[in-house]
Amino acid sequence: MSSRKDVTNYCIDTMLKAGIQKAQCTLSDKSRDEFNVDSGEISLLRTTNDTSLHMMGIVDDKRGSISINKTDTESLDRAVKEVLDLAESSEADSANDISEMQPSKVFQKGSTEPNLNLMYNRITAFLEYSRKAYPSLMLEQAILDFVSKKSYFRNSNGVYFESSRGIYNFFPMFTSKDGADISSFNYSGFSSGNLDRELHEYGSIDTLMRQSTEQISTKEISGKFTGEIIITPDCMNEFISHITMFLSDYPLISGTSIYKDSLNELIADPQLTLHSRPVSDEISDGYFFTPDGYEALNSTIIEKGVLKTFLLGLYGANKTGKPKAVNCGDAYVIDAGKHSFEEMVSSVKKGILMCRFSGGNPSDNGDFSGVCKNSYYIENGEILYPVRETMISGNLDKALRNIRRISKERINFGSEILPWVQVGDITISGK
Amino acid sequence: MIPKELGGYSNLFTEYTELRVQENRSVRITVVNGDVMGNSSASSSGVSARTYSNGVWGFASDPEIKDENIRKVIAFATRNARFLDSRENRVGNPLPVTLGNGAWDYSTSKARKSQKDIIDFVREIDSRILQKFKEISSRTVSLGLLDMEKSLLTSDGASAYSMIPKSIMVIALSTERDGQSIELYDIYGGFGQFEDVFTAPDSLFEQMDRHYDHLRRKAEGIYPDAGIKECILDADLAGILAHEAIGHTTEADGVRGGSIAADYLNKEVASPLITMVDFAHSAFGELCPVPVFIDDEGTEAEDVVIIDRGVLKRFMHNKETSILFDDEPTGNARAFRFNDEPLIRMRNTAILPGKSKLEDMIASVQDGYYLMRPSNGQADSTSEFMFGIIQGYEIRNGKLGRALRDTTISGVAFDMLKTVTAVSDEMKWTSAGMCGKKQPIPVSMGGPAIRCRVNIGGR
Repeated sequence: MSSRKDVTNYCIDTMLKAGIQKAQCTLSDKSRDEFNVDSGEISLLRTTNDTSLHMMGIVDDKRGSISINKTDTESLDRAVKEVLDLAESSEADSANDISEMQPSKVFQKGSTEPNLNLMYNRITAFLEYSRKAYPSLMLEQAILDFVSKKSYFRNSNGVYFESSRGIYNFFPMFTSKDGADISSFNYSGFSSGNLDRELHEYGSIDTLMRQSTEQISTKEISGKFTGEIIITPDCMNEFISHITMFLSDYPLISGTSIYKDSLNELIADPQLTLHSRPVSDEISDGYFFTPDGYEALNSTIIEKGVLKTFLLGLYGANKTGKPKAVNCGDAYVIDAGKHSFEEMVSSVKKGILMCRFSGGNPSDNGDFSGVCKNSYYIENGEILYPVRETMISGNLDKALRNIRRISKERINFGSEILPWVQVGDITISGK
Repeated sequence: MIPKELGGYSNLFTEYTELRVQENRSVRITVVNGDVMGNSSASSSGVSARTYSNGVWGFASDPEIKDENIRKVIAFATRNARFLDSRENRVGNPLPVTLGNGAWDYSTSKARKSQKDIIDFVREIDSRILQKFKEISSRTVSLGLLDMEKSLLTSDGASAYSMIPKSIMVIALSTERDGQSIELYDIYGGFGQFEDVFTAPDSLFEQMDRHYDHLRRKAEGIYPDAGIKECILDADLAGILAHEAIGHTTEADGVRGGSIAADYLNKEVASPLITMVDFAHSAFGELCPVPVFIDDEGTEAEDVVIIDRGVLKRFMHNKETSILFDDEPTGNARAFRFNDEPLIRMRNTAILPGKSKLEDMIASVQDGYYLMRPSNGQADSTSEFMFGIIQGYEIRNGKLGRALRDTTISGVAFDMLKTVTAVSDEMKWTSAGMCGKKQPIPVSMGGPAIRCRVNIGGR
């Protein structure tokens, strides 16, 4: 086959000829060039190429799917046979379907080739900066990579999408040490279409490195009290993942989501507006089409506290009878609030600046608990000291309703744009 | 099937080089409330090479396992190492020579089941839940099968082939109380292919009945009182404690990166009742759930006694860290996919059994908790940990009382292990989870029950 487009054509044609009634195929070619730092030294240059071919077929409402990483004819023919076997061995479910006809589109974002010399120079400069600016900081690991990905989607309803993307990603993980005292590890990162700045200038990396050196010496807080937390943009990412998990296929299909009956209902304080913007210019990362074959659009998930959409895919929407989302989440953006970070801190009588949360997924009822890591105690409007062995607990539904303030300032991570969010009525317990 | 013999490429190695061909094959079936929501299989195979030059590494991979691609990958990895070498200008130590050699194939000898047979098995489990467990509001049966097959050749002359399978079923049951959903999941299966692990549906019934009983009690359960309490951590929790809170701090790359364990070598870090080992492939005369005979650097894997009767004795190493720490490579360098580089990873990490009886340990607690199952766990370089608890009971006056709702325990592992006052004589492994550290990787963890003091979160 002369082109990757031909591969997708072959897959759909062969599936239909084999007796599959509805067929879908996604082919992706991904290459990655990656510099690794271990223990403060550049250690590895890694170049990987991989292919991912996903085929899904439906026969009499029965679905089977397969993923392989080969595209020779023999492998494709074998995979088609296996898709047919998988579908025929499954159970009929009328919710199984493929996306309807949409105009074909080709999308492109970012460069296609990495600049290895620039990457090397940037990471070398980052190591030099971190040594000079933060002598007590130990860079346990850092990864700077460039990922180039070309994807092709086709189904038997005539849908065809093609996208080409190239993006730089940086992820440093660090701890700080002074004698026998060490901080908890922390990490951050960003995605960007270019490397036009030094690495520590992106996102919140420099702030977190500075904080790490402050966190060598921590204090316990005593007792248990109800207070406020200010969730940092890095930490907010985790809370968003818990919120959106409850809006996704599995908890809505199984009926365990706390938001299953909340569409167009107030679920959060009206200060909160949460978007998913996979095709926004302000997001360097993102995607152009969904795995089930729809062109991705930007959406508002929570508007002034009101839940405006679930994050259901085609199967989930058919299964639950609820509306399908126009994207599959991620690329989250929270609208800026009206308060400065300083105003927020000064309004807290007793609470925690929560910079990292070490906890599990919330229970089905939304209860969560976990440890505040790399975090600070706030009292009478002042950030006093970094804490250790401090836990918080609460309920996700109640926490969203108890949002007190959202910051004007936001951090653009390239993949998300998030502010600081102040939440009240959280149980905070020390030793 | 991948080629088992790679010897023909050794003449292309110009530096220290590892050449690996690997295929991971997986099957996933998910049945939610009787509907087959997931029914898929996947395979991912390819070739990779890693080359070492004066203290820096080059790596390259390709999904095609053809002669020209293998040659290209070796050349590209060498080019990458030289790119870094030319810029870094380091004087690197030569790596220790290791000559692991052998083949281990744990494919089933039974006739392979078809996908339909496997789906029917899962549906039979689902049907029994529906028929027998009357108070269930939602049920999910999820089956995951993984075969990892790899061949390795190194420029030292090490050569290895392995096919290591695992088969895990997770059953999640929910019931409702006062308008709230209460969930409890349990894990079935472990090492081996489906045919060897899941011989018949009724082999799971006894465990399923216990699972349902625990859920019903949990629905009537309470939240524990917050604070530091005397607790008995059952085997699953002792295992996750060993892996997450201690194990990660004693991987030598983590030690280099600032782990608190760096300052504790040969010091007392736990009660003398605690001995903790990362087993390579066998323990107590039996095969471990994740056997590693030769690691992905060609080193014959050996057991690492991390804590011996309360004293921190050794870290886990790859070739490079063994030089830095003046130790030997321990066979902990492992990669998950063909295009992943080997990292220092645990294998089968466990606290060793002691001499106490679990019943006696429970009877000895006046006011505390018996914590049985974790949901997930996290720990950091300080050994401070947090584990979610999804199953447990209060202990009052030496007797088990009401069940617990979901809660959390936390603490500093090296402090907490000093409070251990009893270790049970029974040992249990779990191998359902994947450890995450740049790459996922199958690991197992195990232990007896331990009695200790730990901070429990309450609500």
